[in-house]
This record gives sequence, C-alpha cells and structure tokens, in this order.
Amino acid sequence: MMRSLRWGDAVVVALATALVTTSFALGYAPSGGSTHLVVTQAGMDSRHYPLNENRAIQVEGPAGITEIEIQPGRARCLRSPGNQGICEAAGWLERPGDLAVSLPNRLMLQVRGARSDFDSMHY
Amino acid sequence: MNTDPVLADRRIAALAALAIGLQVIEAAIPSPVPGIKPGLANVITLVVLVTLGWRAALAVTLLRVVGASLLLGTLLSPGFWLSLTGALAALAVLGALLRLHPHHLSALGLAVPAAIAHTLAQFLLAWAVIIPHPQLPLLLPPLLLAGLITGVVTGILTASVLADPRIQRHVRDSSTTQSG
Repeated sequence: MMRSLRWGDAVVVALATALVTTSFALGYAPSGGSTHLVVTQAGMDSRHYPLNENRAIQVEGPAGITEIEIQPGRARCLRSPGNQGICEAAGWLERPGDLAVSLPNRLMLQVRGARSDFDSMHY
Repeated sequence: MNTDPVLADRRIAALAALAIGLQVIEAAIPSPVPGIKPGLANVITLVVLVTLGWRAALAVTLLRVVGASLLLGTLLSPGFWLSLTGALAALAVLGALLRLHPHHLSALGLAVPAAIAHTLAQFLLAWAVIIPHPQLPLLLPPLLLAGLITGVVTGILTASVLADPRIQRHVRDSSTTQSG
C-alpha cells in the first residue's frame, strides 16, 4: 500500500486540507463583539444605541419604566417592572444576538454586531 | 484484455451489483450527521476506473445510483438527485485526473478530489434547488472536512484492493493506453 503512494498524493491531500481549512476560516471566523443595542417595543419603531460608552437609558412601557445600562461592548436590563425578574436575569448581553425580554413592558433588548451569529443549528 | 461484449457486460453488472450492495449496507448504518457517510461504493468506482476505464466506471456508477435507489425506495427523490449529481461530479474529476494515475497519483490522490467534488456538487445542488437558504454555506466546512476524511479512507481501501495481485494485473497504465 505505502509503495503505491506518489508525490502527487501529497500535493492533492495538501490542497484539499487547505480548501477545508479555508472554508472553516471563512465560514466560522469570529464575528467580533457587539456594536449596538436594539430596543424593540410593541407598537413603536425599534431604536438603536451604540455600545461605545457608559450610559443609562430609561424606556417607558405599559407596566412602568425599564432601566437599561450600557457599557462599552455590552448592555443589560438593570431594572424592569416585571415581578419575576426575567429581564434582569438575562444578565449582560455581550455576544451578538444575546437578548433580554420584558413582557410586562412589551420590550425586547438585543445586542448586535457587524454580522449576526447563530444561537444553534438544527436539521 | 478480453473484448467479448457479453463478458464485458457481465463484468460491469457484477461490479455494479457489488457497488449497490455496499451502498445499501451503508444506508443501514446510522450516521450522526445527515449528509455524511463513508461512500464505500466509490471504492468500486475507483477500481473499475483504473482497471476497465472511464466508460465502464460511468456505466457502473449509473447502475449503482439507480439500482441502490430502487432498493432503498428513493428513486427520483431529492436524495436520488443528490446521489446522482455527486457521483457524476466525482466521475468528471476522476476522468480529468485519470491520466496522472499511476505515475503521479495513486488511488488515494484520485479518491480525495473525487470525494471533495462529490460533496461540493451535492452541496451546490442542495443550496440552489432543495434548500435555498442564505446561511446554508455554514454547513459546507464540516461537510468538506468529512469529504476529505472519507476520501482518504476510500483511497486507502482502494489502494489495498488494487494491490491484490489478482486485480493488479488488470490495472491499466493510462499514460500510455487510451482509456474508455
């Protein structure tokens, strides 16, 4: 078996390996951090806030005021009127696609990057 | 080489039957990821290619794709078209590389490009026709990796089959004789 191998085999396998590596590099390169926060509230246009500096935002909804804290590269739902604390429990939103939801305030917070990532893939 | 047409037909039928058998057995093996399987029937295609030539390999491949789909009940289903497209793309690449065998490429060097071409062609068909989703290319890298691995495995298997003296004496030197 080994004797039948030719130099061309090494070239072919190297080329194929390079192709596979390139495809992984192109397809799965990290998309970088989050660049902005998108606040979507039922019945209103969604608002975008850049994640470049510390700031606090207050959003008024049907159940009260949701306080949002923004730091460079991340954001979180600091206080929200929901009594189960679901919005706050989402913690810091850092990776593109992370989101926090406040149903009482009909509010969704999502951080996004230059390119959207997937939570998971299913067949 | 015996040029009796009846004998040649029987040979192709027997080899196609072997390939169909391999493909049906392989279909019974559960795969952890859809779209990835060893492609053992390609060992037969490669052996036919380097012993009987390109036309015989085409005949065996078409018989294998249609025959196996009849047994598996996938005739004219998306799986059948994927199988046919992959097999024909692999054969096209093999036809182009055949003249490099056996002096510059062994069976391994034929099997790897064939497996990659098989994967790429199936993927393009799936993307263009069956699941035209913009993010489908994210599935391509793992599929190509699987193609590389299965290509190496089938190539090694083919090389050991061809090393058998009973088969070795039928191997053609395609750089001096015209294949087909």
